[in-house]
Amino acid sequence: MSVSKSRATNSLLRSERKSLIRFLQLYVGLVILLLIALAVIYYEAGKRFMLSEQRADLNQYAYIQTKRLKALHHYFDERVTYPRDSRFRSAIFDNEYHEIFSLLKQPKINFKQEIYLKDRKIHFVETLDEFYLGTRYLVLEVDDDGVWSKLLWRNILAYGGVIWLFFMGLGIFLANRFVKPMRDSIMLLDRFIKDTTHELNTPLAAILANIEIMDLSTMQEKNRRKLERINAAAITVSLLYKDLTYLTLEQEHKNKDEWIDIVTLLEERMDYFRVLSLSRELSCQTDLERAVIYMDQRKLIRVVDNLLSNAIKYNKRNGTVGIILRQGSLTIWDTGIGIKEEQKEMMFDRYMRFEESEGGFGVGLSIVKNITDEYRIKIEVVSKLKEGTRITLLW
Amino acid sequence: MVKIIIAVFTLTFFVWSDNAYERHCVSCHRELPTSLQRMFMYYLEIYSGEKSVKVALKRYMRNPFRDVSVMPELFLDTYGIKQPLKLDERELEEAIEIYWETYQVHGRLK
Repeated sequence: MSVSKSRATNSLLRSERKSLIRFLQLYVGLVILLLIALAVIYYEAGKRFMLSEQRADLNQYAYIQTKRLKALHHYFDERVTYPRDSRFRSAIFDNEYHEIFSLLKQPKINFKQEIYLKDRKIHFVETLDEFYLGTRYLVLEVDDDGVWSKLLWRNILAYGGVIWLFFMGLGIFLANRFVKPMRDSIMLLDRFIKDTTHELNTPLAAILANIEIMDLSTMQEKNRRKLERINAAAITVSLLYKDLTYLTLEQEHKNKDEWIDIVTLLEERMDYFRVLSLSRELSCQTDLERAVIYMDQRKLIRVVDNLLSNAIKYNKRNGTVGIILRQGSLTIWDTGIGIKEEQKEMMFDRYMRFEESEGGFGVGLSIVKNITDEYRIKIEVVSKLKEGTRITLLW
Repeated sequence: MVKIIIAVFTLTFFVWSDNAYERHCVSCHRELPTSLQRMFMYYLEIYSGEKSVKVALKRYMRNPFRDVSVMPELFLDTYGIKQPLKLDERELEEAIEIYWETYQVHGRLK
């Protein structure tokens, strides 16, 4: 079966997105570590190469300076002027690392290394076999011009950039391979829903229209109850149909935002769900104050319908559904089954269902989240297992 | 009479002079062709640092052997090896300390 892409089918479940993000974080982290390791190795190798080039010159200078120290040693007291050279600075230390004389600009010496770079100064430590003037260590110092460093950094950035791009390309390729099975399964499901949704419309409209025109007064009580149950079931299916239609078709439409009187809208929707709530013998508590919101009415209806239908569907028999409306907040609560704390994070995921006893595809709260995110409406969920759920929208 | 006075004066000077170094080192080394300064440089050339030099000097003063001497073969062949010093520990250390301070290179180079 071929699977086509659409905006609706491109979305991944949050848990799947999390897996993908973790994979990418791990991958990017490892690539960064690899690049840093390569850069450090390359830089250190470049530095060693530069120092080995300097070593040849400094060795020669050390030989010359040792000869001068030897001469000074033999004529000491007659001559006390330390030999100087314009090509380098030098210092002499005894075998206890005490300074005898120094012309160095960087006085900290690492006697364990023959040659090293510190604070843009190259130090060369020569150990003498004969300690002229008590000199065990002759230290030569030259300035580092830093040209090699600039060259190395330029190469690191250039090669590092190329390697980075290569690994990012590879990462995107691997990520696509990683999510392909998930995406295929979601696309298949979406495609199936889209196809079947079209087939639901006509029979559903016929059922609801016929129930509407039936004369209940001439019916026996027993039949009237049966018809009410059929009506409630048809409303549930109708709600599902509207959600699916919204998912597959309507969310692509441009918004028609306007100021909406939420009290009026809530009263309409409560009336719509009245049959459904009566079928479950639910009572309704409302505390409505005048409130308005600027958004697309179709989308607000989807939000309210889904929250109300969940509050009804997952309620216990003879339970209560409550609605509290204030300017800036709308709370819909129930005395139903509630959800576990660890399930709260996933409750807005598409196709996520915690209770299989009720029908549906698990798309309702996903639509709610989708719309509230679009309008920057905050959702707060308070739920206690077997006691009920309270969902508050804040805008 | 004058000679006796000078001799007594000289003896008194050496016996009661200022420090152990003057009393026990300088007096004998006056007679040698190699100065104490040059000998010090031999020590520096072989032992380098202050502690090493002082330890080597002390060891040699107590046990002067040819194979541990810093002096050249020609010098040793001509003048031989000195006698072990019969100084107490404190006086020997004082003499070596003064010797080090007198000829050390630290701070004298310009």
